[in-house]
Formats: sequence, C-alpha cells, structure tokens
Amino acid sequence: MRKVALFSAVLVGAAIMLFPFLWTVITSITPEGSLAGGPTLFVEDPTLDAYRTLLDTVPMWRIMLNSFGIAVAATVLQLVTGAMAGYGFARLSFPGKNIVFAGYLATLMIPLQVLVVPLFIEMRTFQLNDTYFALLAPGIASAFGVFLLRQAVAAVPSELDEAATIDGASHLRIFTTIVLPLVRPTLATVAVFAFMSSWNGFLWPLVVIRSPEFMTLPLGLSTLQGQFTTEWDVVMAGSVLSIIPIAVVYLLAQRHIIAGIAHTGIK
Amino acid sequence: MRLRIAAASVGVLALAACSQGSATDPGASEDGKTVVRYMNFSANDGHEKDLDAIVAAFEKANTDIDVRVETLPFADYFTTLQTAVAGDTAPDAFELNYENFVTYAKNGSLAELSGVDTSVYGKSLVDAYATDGKQYGLPESFSNVVLFYNKTLFDQAGVAVPTADWTWADEQAAAERLTNKGAGVWGDYQPITYNEFYKALAQAGGEFLSEDGKSATFDSPEGLKAANWLIGKNGTTMPTEADGAGTPDFDSKLFSDGKLAMWHTGIWMFDALADVPFEWDVVVEPGDTTKASAMFVNGLAVSSASENAEAAQKWITFLSSSDTTTDVRLDTSWELPPVADDSKLAAYLDQPKPANRESVFDALENPVLPPVIERQQEMQDAVTKELGEAAAGRKPVAQALKDAQAAVNGLLE
Amino acid sequence: MTLVATKSPVTSPPPIRRAKPRRSWKHYGWVLFFLLPSAVPLVLFTIVPMISSIWVSLHEWNLISPMRWVGFDNYVSLLTDPQTGKVFLHTLLYVAGYLPLVYAGGLGLALALNRKLPARAFLRATYFLPVVTSWVVVALVWKWLLNPAGGLVNQILGFFGLGQPGWWTDPDWALVSVILASAWKDLGFVMVILLAGLQAIPRDLHEAAIVDGASGWQRFWRVTLPLLTPSTFFVVVISLINGFQVFDQVYVMTGGGPGGASQVVVGQIYDLTFRYGRAGEASALSWLLFVVILAVTVIQIRGQRRWVHYA
Repeated sequence: MRKVALFSAVLVGAAIMLFPFLWTVITSITPEGSLAGGPTLFVEDPTLDAYRTLLDTVPMWRIMLNSFGIAVAATVLQLVTGAMAGYGFARLSFPGKNIVFAGYLATLMIPLQVLVVPLFIEMRTFQLNDTYFALLAPGIASAFGVFLLRQAVAAVPSELDEAATIDGASHLRIFTTIVLPLVRPTLATVAVFAFMSSWNGFLWPLVVIRSPEFMTLPLGLSTLQGQFTTEWDVVMAGSVLSIIPIAVVYLLAQRHIIAGIAHTGIK
Repeated sequence: MRLRIAAASVGVLALAACSQGSATDPGASEDGKTVVRYMNFSANDGHEKDLDAIVAAFEKANTDIDVRVETLPFADYFTTLQTAVAGDTAPDAFELNYENFVTYAKNGSLAELSGVDTSVYGKSLVDAYATDGKQYGLPESFSNVVLFYNKTLFDQAGVAVPTADWTWADEQAAAERLTNKGAGVWGDYQPITYNEFYKALAQAGGEFLSEDGKSATFDSPEGLKAANWLIGKNGTTMPTEADGAGTPDFDSKLFSDGKLAMWHTGIWMFDALADVPFEWDVVVEPGDTTKASAMFVNGLAVSSASENAEAAQKWITFLSSSDTTTDVRLDTSWELPPVADDSKLAAYLDQPKPANRESVFDALENPVLPPVIERQQEMQDAVTKELGEAAAGRKPVAQALKDAQAAVNGLLE
Repeated sequence: MTLVATKSPVTSPPPIRRAKPRRSWKHYGWVLFFLLPSAVPLVLFTIVPMISSIWVSLHEWNLISPMRWVGFDNYVSLLTDPQTGKVFLHTLLYVAGYLPLVYAGGLGLALALNRKLPARAFLRATYFLPVVTSWVVVALVWKWLLNPAGGLVNQILGFFGLGQPGWWTDPDWALVSVILASAWKDLGFVMVILLAGLQAIPRDLHEAAIVDGASGWQRFWRVTLPLLTPSTFFVVVISLINGFQVFDQVYVMTGGGPGGASQVVVGQIYDLTFRYGRAGEASALSWLLFVVILAVTVIQIRGQRRWVHYA
C-alpha cells in the first residue's frame, strides 16, 4: 500500500518534471506557436513546419556535428584527466597535496564571465582563436570531475591496491585494472556532466568562434532570436533537437551509474 | 604498433584542431584579393540572403575585393564585438547603432572616413555619425516609431480613427473607450521604458539633457507629464507586468490577435503584420505640445585597427548608399535606406500595407534621436528601473523622476 | 561489489608514528604522471586567465580601448558601494534558500527511486530532464506557474485561502521565485549524485540493523544518512560553489529585477563587463566573490571531520 502511494507520488512528480519539455515539444509543433499564451496541452493542427524552417535557416547538421564532436572529445578528455588526477590525489601523497587540490577547486570559483576576455586574448596571442582547439581547451580538464573522482577512488579499499602491489603491479596497472572498473558509476556520472556542460556552453563559443564552419548548437539556436520578434515555434524546435542527444547520453550512462539492483531500502 | 598509429592520428587531429577558420585567416586573401571582414546584426533572422545579394553586387563591381560577412543576433552582437576589439580581432567594417557609435568613436576604435560624399544621405542621418566635424561612420538605415491602430476595432466601437492632428488627450479618450477588460481588449500599449520616455518628454516640450550635455534636465514639469502619460496607461488601457506585459512578443501577439486597439512600436513590425485578419494602419504619434517621433539609426564604421581601411570604406559606402542597396531594402522591407533623394523611396510608398506609409516620412520631420552619454547603458537601465518602480506603484512618480535624474547626473560626472 | 571507504579522501590522514619512507624520484614521477594531464590544461586555460583578471582588476577597462591603471580604486569603490552589499546579500539569500530545498528534494527522490519501482529507469531519466532543459523554457514555465494574476500556484493558494504573493513581479518575492525554479531544475542532479552514494552503502549494514529491530525511520537516520555523508559533502560543496555564481536563471527569469531586487553578484559582473564597459570593476568584484567562496569551501573542508563518515 505504501509502495503504491509512493509510486503515485513519484509519477505525479515525473509528470511535473516532464511538463516544460512537453510544452517545448507542443510549441514546436503548433503552427506559429508562441510562448505568450501560456502552456497548452492540445494542438489543433500539429505541423512540422517549425522543424523545416529550422533546418532551412540554421545548418543544423553541421552545428550538431560540431557540438557533438567537441562534447565527446571534452568528455573523453575530462574522464581521462579527471580519473588520473582522482587517483593521484586519493592514492599518492606528496608535500603540498592539499594546496594543490585547493588550487584545483579554486578554478571552480571564478565565474566564466570574467575569464572569457583574458582567455580570448590568450588564445589570440597564440593564433588559436577561432579554432576547434579553442572551443575544446577550457573543457579538457575539470576540477568538478577531479573532485568527484577523488571521492570515488578513495572509497575503493586500498587493500586491493596492496594485494596487487605485492604481485608487482605498478600504479598504472593498479589504476587501469583495479581502480577504474570499480569507479565506473562515478565515471558515468562525470561523463554525463562533462557532456552536458560542453553541449550547452554558450558564452565562450560566442566569443572565441567567428567562422560559421565552427558554429556550435547554442550559438546556432540563438541566431533564431530576432532583434524585434522571434519565431518561438522554431526556437522550441531547436530546443527539442538539442535536448535529445543529452537525454540519450544520460540514458546510456545511467545503466552504469546504477550498478546493479538496489541493495538498500525497504521493500 | 596500433598505439603508434593511434598516437599519430591523435596528433594529426590535434594539429587540425588548431587551424583557424575562414573568418580569421590573418590577411589571407585568395587570388590576391583584398579581404574585408564585415560584422553586422541587422541581417539576422530573415535578411541574410538580401545582404548576400548586396555583397554579390559589390564584388561584381569591385573584383579585387572579397567581402566576408559575419551576421550575429543583436542580443549577442556587442558582447562579441567588444571582445573582438579587446582581443585585436575586430572586423574591418562593422555595424553600429547610434547609441553605441558615440562610445566607439570617443574611444578611438573607428577610423576616420575621408572623401565622403555627404550629399547623398539625409542630412540629419549623416550628421549623426560625425564627431568634431570629422566623419567616423556612415548612416546605414533608419527606422522610426509610429502609432499602429486596429481599424476594425475602432469601427466596431464607433470611435473615429487616429489622425495626424491628434494629441495625447485624443489618444487617451479613444483608448479608454476602446478598452474592454472583460473581453480582454486593451486600448493602448506603450512600453514604460527609457526609449519611450525621452520621446514622450520631447512630445511634452521637455529636454532630457542640458545644452552642454553635462547635466540631466528631465525632472521638470514636462518630464512629470511625460512620465504620468506612460505610467497612467498601466492597468487602465494597457495590461500590467503581471498580465504579461514585457515578456517577449507579448505586445505583438496582443495586436495580431486583434486584442489591442493602439500600439506604439516601430516600422520594423510592418512585415510581421502582413497577414493579420483585420484592417490596420499607422499614423504619426500624437504629441502633447509638439510632435516628436523616435528615430533609430544604424550606421557603418571602419575599424581603426583595420589594415584594409580603404577597401572597407568602399564597401560601407556601397552598402549605405548604392542603388542596389536601396532597391533591396525597399523590396524586402528591410529598414529604410538613409538616402537624401526621396524619389528613390517611391517604391516604399507604393506597397499596400499599411496604407498610410507617408506617415513614416512625415514622422521624420520631427525626429528625436536617443540622448547619448558615455555611460549609455547604465543610464538607460537607471531610467527604465525608476519608471518601472513608479509603474508598479512602489514609488510616487515624482519621486521616481527625481531619483532617475539624480542617477543620471551621477553617471555624467 | 560492496565498497567500504577506508580513509578520509580530502584531508591528509593524521600523522602516524612510523618512519616516513624516503620518497624516490620514481614516486614523484608517478605524482606528475597522474596529475599533469589535468593540471596543465587547468593552469593554461583557467589559472592563467584568472591571474590576468587580477591584473585587469587593477585597471579601468571598457574593452574597446587600452586599460587605464587605477590601482586598488576598483576594490575601494566596490567595497563602499551599497550595490555591492546588495548583490552579495541577494546571492547569500539565494544560496540559503536553494541548498536545503534542492538537497531535501534530491534526497527524497534518490531514496524513492532507489527501490524496485516499476519503470525506474524511465523515471530517473524523467527527473533528470529539467537539468538538461534550457533555462529559457524552464524560466518561462515558472513565470507562468507563478503568475500573480491567475497562475497555477496562486490559484491553488487562493483555493486554500492563503495569501497570493506577487512572485516575480514583487521585489520581496522575486528571489524566492528564482530559488523555487532553480531547486526544481536541479533536483535531478542531486538525485543522481545521491543515488550513486546510496548504491555504495553495503546491504549487510541494513540487514544487520533490521535484525537488531531498527525501524525504517531509525535505519534512515542511523545507517543511511551517516553513510551518505561523503556524497552529501560533495553535493553541498559543489552546490555552494555553483550557487554563489548563480547567473543564467536570474538573467532569464527576472533580469535582476524588479528594480534590482534579485540582482546577484555574477549578474552584476556580467552587466559591468559587457553592458557598462567596466571590466576592471567586474574583475575586482569577481575576486571579492572568490574570497567568499574560498572561505566557505575551506570551512567546509576543515569541518568535514566533524560530520562526514568515510567508513
């Protein structure tokens, strides 16, 4: 009985969570849909016109490819650099470790708005502005991932390490064969956030990219907002298309995040 | 072995990732042509192809110049432009609205334009882009604000439609008669912002800044009248913020749904209203003691850091005054070309909707340009904020006006 | 696979009386090997700009003309400007409201979705959807929900005879509106982190507690929550770091208004840099914020000994 009540509550909650997304989808298929009238659940003449206009106005495939490529690269790089740093902080000791870790955390404490201009000038100095590399650079490593992975590696019993050391394994071997498989859920979590943050990034790409061939999805979608009016149905169509890849990534990663059947909780 | 191939391909990818894009190739010009990089916002969201047509015509007439266009949405334009200037990657030529022109000119970001034939442009327009007798920009297009009205609603209510002789009193009387809150119909929509205030102030005969531009003078009886004119509509003949006013496209939807009798907005909305199912027209905005219409001018400038200034100037001259441009603009209702020769604008007047297109030019007889100071955006924000406080009833109007003037004077020091 | 944490990961272990092993070059080689791949990009692409921004903060700069040296003037004028205090206060209030809400909500969700409910994977995905939805849409939804004149929330409040606030049109309630929308949107994020933490709690501990006769509630307080503290710690630290830098939702929902009543520090930084041409002050303000965030984070890291259980 309690379980039924719980499940209903969760379902209602889920409906509420789905609501904005549903509104987005509905507006995108409403002819000349607009967000001004408040949300509706019924569409009189659903049409895919907004999607057609979107594909005509914005080079969607190209920009999705750009965004996807950068996001995948950023995710892979953050996983590798983050896991390695996580292992380094959790397993190795060295003088000044806490200060270095504080330094890592400090990189999370300055807002991007303040960093974009100096970083842009730095890229320009090395003739790297307006390149894929510049798009990727701030996303190669992330203290957020390092922090999360450090916690996860620390939770792996060091007895396992010691057993392997006795067998003559090096740190690298321990890292790859023992630690990494055990922190898979956290790796999946970091992957989701790395992908998301790269996929949705706006201010940095806006400032560093000028050539249309490098344009990313958020930039492309923002061109749909006119100076005086906006075709909301087209903007919403763009939003729908941009949510789908992240949702897919999350669904794929989710299987790894929830390792196995739940062991906790009451039936 | 596989590791080596993997490493090599990663290396190649990394190198490829470091190559700069087409918009930034330093001085690179294919076939030895001069490259002019041009950045703009007005072509965004509907006129990209029109701009391409103008570029094609220019390149045909100037085979040694290659124009590369970057179009950005207005909301993001100045963020990008400022950062580009800061990072020394400014385009050779770029678009500037009047409010920002003053800042860029004062800061030495613009190259002086020499040998400009100012006679082809409307005098007030080309003068707007000159400082200290030197030409730092060319006017590109202009638009102004007029009063739109829903003829069908007027006819149904038996109210006489607005004419060029109307004053605020006439507008208010009509608005009150046409407002029917029960049916969700409103009489008159005018945003309560800086942009409307300085114009209403002029319509009441007031001055925003003193002659020497060193102090604000809008806290005056005329200013109070103008502020009350705007704020009085809130909730009486116009929906309030809580009803949705101020949210994107709220007003345009209200008008195109046929629920708004009168609407103060710009001629850029003509296109958007082409297919509405009711009859509508425009008229010069009523004034109080005098008529005054807000005019917005976009201009073109050459970057002072440009290495191709001469070619850039040729481009912006073409973009601002050539017959090709004039025709394209008129054909597609893409703002009005700033040319002095009225005969060239005949095609504009011939278009069917709205019928009273002469009013657009009549409005030019009493233009009001936005007052511009060094700290422009802060001033606009301060004035709009105080007006908003008064409109929401959190401050008496007189107090809001006083505080706004104090704030602006603070910015002028 | 059950995991048992054995040592505190974030601070150094207390000194143990044993001969300190002489670290070989090889050891430091490993340290570099594991840390450089992340350290180098972070230094190059975050720390270097951070240092540049300190330099910028000592100048007056409108981005389009060369910087002008002003020394500490920016800091002085910020510290004496009431607007600075205002935006810090708003940011603080935001964080104080947001964190408990998002944690409690996320915890509830994680607990609920940790059980064998039908369509669990679908539900988890659904709750995560707002996290990835753009703020433009979420802000509009919440503005509609919280519409003072007939929005769903006020209609419900009115039905129960409760007061109906002006929400985002009211200076006293604007920040609350942003807090509600933010907490709602980020529930999925907290849920994901805490779910992973719940998964790590060994089943035998719960079973032992049941054998000892503990009720569900007791098990929650004595077993679940304490063993969840490492994940909780992470959520709190990251939410605070991010919360102090809140920007997008304020920008989109209220624009800092009405009348500046919901303007936050990063909103002010953005306006100063890109709209008012005062990048020097913006940098100075961001370093003031940095000091605050650093202090808060350090306090938490030091304090974790008291409440975070790593085994």
